[in-house]
Amino acid sequence: MKVMSEKSYRDAIREAMMEEMDRDAKVLIMGEDIGVYEGTFRITAGMLKKYGPKRVIDTPIAEAGMVGTAVGMAMLGLRPIVEMMTMNFAIVAADQILNHAAKVRYFSGGQVDVPMVVRGPQGAGVQLSAQHSQSFESFYAHFPGIHVVAPATPADAKGMLKTAIRGRDPVIFLESAALYGMKGEVPDDPEFTVPFGKSRVAREGSDVTIVSFSRMLQLSLIVADKLAKDEGIECEVIDLRTLRPLDMDPVYASVTKTHRAVVVQEQWKPFGAAAEIAASITETVFDELDAPVARVTGEDVPMPYARSLELLATPHEEDIERAVKRVMYKS
Amino acid sequence: MAEIIMPKMGDAMTEGKVVKWYKKPGDPVKKGDAVAEIETDKVNLDLEAETAGTLGEHAANEGDMVPVGGVLANILAEGEKEEAPQRRVTDKKDSVKHTTGEYQEAIEQKGPRRDRTQANVVEMPAAAEGGRRRSSPLARRMARDLGVSLEQVQGSGPSGRIVAADVKNARGAAGSQPAGGLTEPAAPLETKVIPLTAMRRTIARRLAESTGPIPHFYLTADYDVTNLLSVRQQMIDISGAKLSLNDFIIRAVALALRHHPNVNASWGDDAITQHGEVHVGVAVATADGLITPVIRNADQKSVTGIAAEVRALADKAKNRKLKPDEYQGSTFTISNLGAWGIEEFTAIINPPNAAILAVGTAESRPVVIDKQIVVRERMKVTMSCDHRVVDGALGAEFLKTLRQYIEQPLRLL
Repeated sequence: MKVMSEKSYRDAIREAMMEEMDRDAKVLIMGEDIGVYEGTFRITAGMLKKYGPKRVIDTPIAEAGMVGTAVGMAMLGLRPIVEMMTMNFAIVAADQILNHAAKVRYFSGGQVDVPMVVRGPQGAGVQLSAQHSQSFESFYAHFPGIHVVAPATPADAKGMLKTAIRGRDPVIFLESAALYGMKGEVPDDPEFTVPFGKSRVAREGSDVTIVSFSRMLQLSLIVADKLAKDEGIECEVIDLRTLRPLDMDPVYASVTKTHRAVVVQEQWKPFGAAAEIAASITETVFDELDAPVARVTGEDVPMPYARSLELLATPHEEDIERAVKRVMYKS
Repeated sequence: MAEIIMPKMGDAMTEGKVVKWYKKPGDPVKKGDAVAEIETDKVNLDLEAETAGTLGEHAANEGDMVPVGGVLANILAEGEKEEAPQRRVTDKKDSVKHTTGEYQEAIEQKGPRRDRTQANVVEMPAAAEGGRRRSSPLARRMARDLGVSLEQVQGSGPSGRIVAADVKNARGAAGSQPAGGLTEPAAPLETKVIPLTAMRRTIARRLAESTGPIPHFYLTADYDVTNLLSVRQQMIDISGAKLSLNDFIIRAVALALRHHPNVNASWGDDAITQHGEVHVGVAVATADGLITPVIRNADQKSVTGIAAEVRALADKAKNRKLKPDEYQGSTFTISNLGAWGIEEFTAIINPPNAAILAVGTAESRPVVIDKQIVVRERMKVTMSCDHRVVDGALGAEFLKTLRQYIEQPLRLL
């Protein structure tokens, strides 16, 4: 019996939503241009036709209103998914997400849950310029009361979105715009889910630990393969999968083995996810380190539109390779 | 000559797929003719000829991905000759990777990429003579563990930082002395205040708890291990397994405990608990201190099984990877200092065990057998007992049972 099928990241996300809508009548989705137009990134293709306008809701351009409505729906027992055309637009709804969705259980003394998902693409690499290419994981992961998820593979995208939809909590589900077309093996089992707070070793190695998530994880794997082939350097690559909850135990175990770490993120360096991860490594396994933890990050500028400049402003394989060699004292 | 290019059909589109060619090279085309079907993230659509003419070579095959702006074919005017259009097909596997050609172009336009990791590094002035030596945390720990003085090590890292490789090299240079001998000269002594680690505090608290409230007494026995050592050697010769004498002792103790449930027991404020299972703790020395991984149901495991498990747990212990259920729940503990050449010693009971067996080194000694002085392999063990649970005679009975297993080792197989 076949248990896996090759699917794109995009199709895996759509499939997760449709399977959950089939499974639970309380699940619905709303967002801008998701119904008739089938989504700016074509994530919601076919969904309006199948589920109708009560469960696939085209909204006005009003993110705070969309998320506020979803918070109310969730408090009263529905399981709304809000698609942001890009996560950059969710800034408009930050008050609804951070001050309402993330606080309702606390303020109600545990009486009221807010089971909802705010999902959409983020990140650079598709020439969407300064306002539409940003990454938000450190922004949201700073706040208690929400989960922050950033899948790097089609299988994780599907399994973690299902966990998000089935859960009791508000979830910020950060998709990588540049990964939508990426294909990978996805389990066929409709009960396949991926738990939050479980990092995974995406590639085993003994010389350096590379910690990453989302698209940068894929870039790290390319570098790891290249370094193994060309220079005999074996990188262990860890996929954090969720930024909150953050599972650092596999990172500590890996650094205890390799004694060196490189953290790779697409967003800007100051106060980013890599800073949190590097600090945690230093706090916890200081005596294992043979070199300072290195960070690979995006350039500290608004994302340029020009393709040539965008390529130079985002982390490149070369940067990761340099960082690996630096922590090995090979440069 | 007019180019047919991959159109950009939306903000997010970077490439499109050629699904089908409607026109072959050399076919005449009219303005508005569908030339090819392409697929984007969003839609499939027909590409139309913008001028009339003759279609040139296909620059991409059906199924190829072509970047936005990439030429698919040329439409040639009357009498025009074509230089084959440049193929700019992307490798599908590289949807994640920066396309190398594009990246090279960017570098050519904008100049080389600066080393962003360099920005993290501030060159420090060289350390003053006799001043603090810069060293990585791992290098310091290794130096401590290997008995290497950092004063003797040349740092190869940035700003003279001593790194792990430097300590290893220094150790290698010093390692030309006879193996196992004392290192000459010894590292200079220094007064050091070593803050208590959580582990050291736990060891201290638990052992103090032990000698404090537990009335200890000690029983020593001297066993003949000539046969046991011979059996061990035969097993190693036959199976190639790594077996230590201690692996046999663990099994012997576990089997002996089956005969003496009153030793496989714990003191409680209201009752003594005799345990239904035999879980033998084995003291392991690590860089951080003592820990006792537990061989569960050791009475039901073979010597080779025990050997493999001890090896795995000791490795984990040394890497600080033991899980609580791997070092908790023992019903009896063995501490073996034989490898250090200790003839005999007394060990502190590991609560809530009622006893611990301290095992000394196995060595050739003259003994009297049948009024003859002969040389045999002998090993001394000392059992520390919690007198609240185990009385003298009871402990002695246990050591007698143990003697049968140790001196008649075929009982262990």
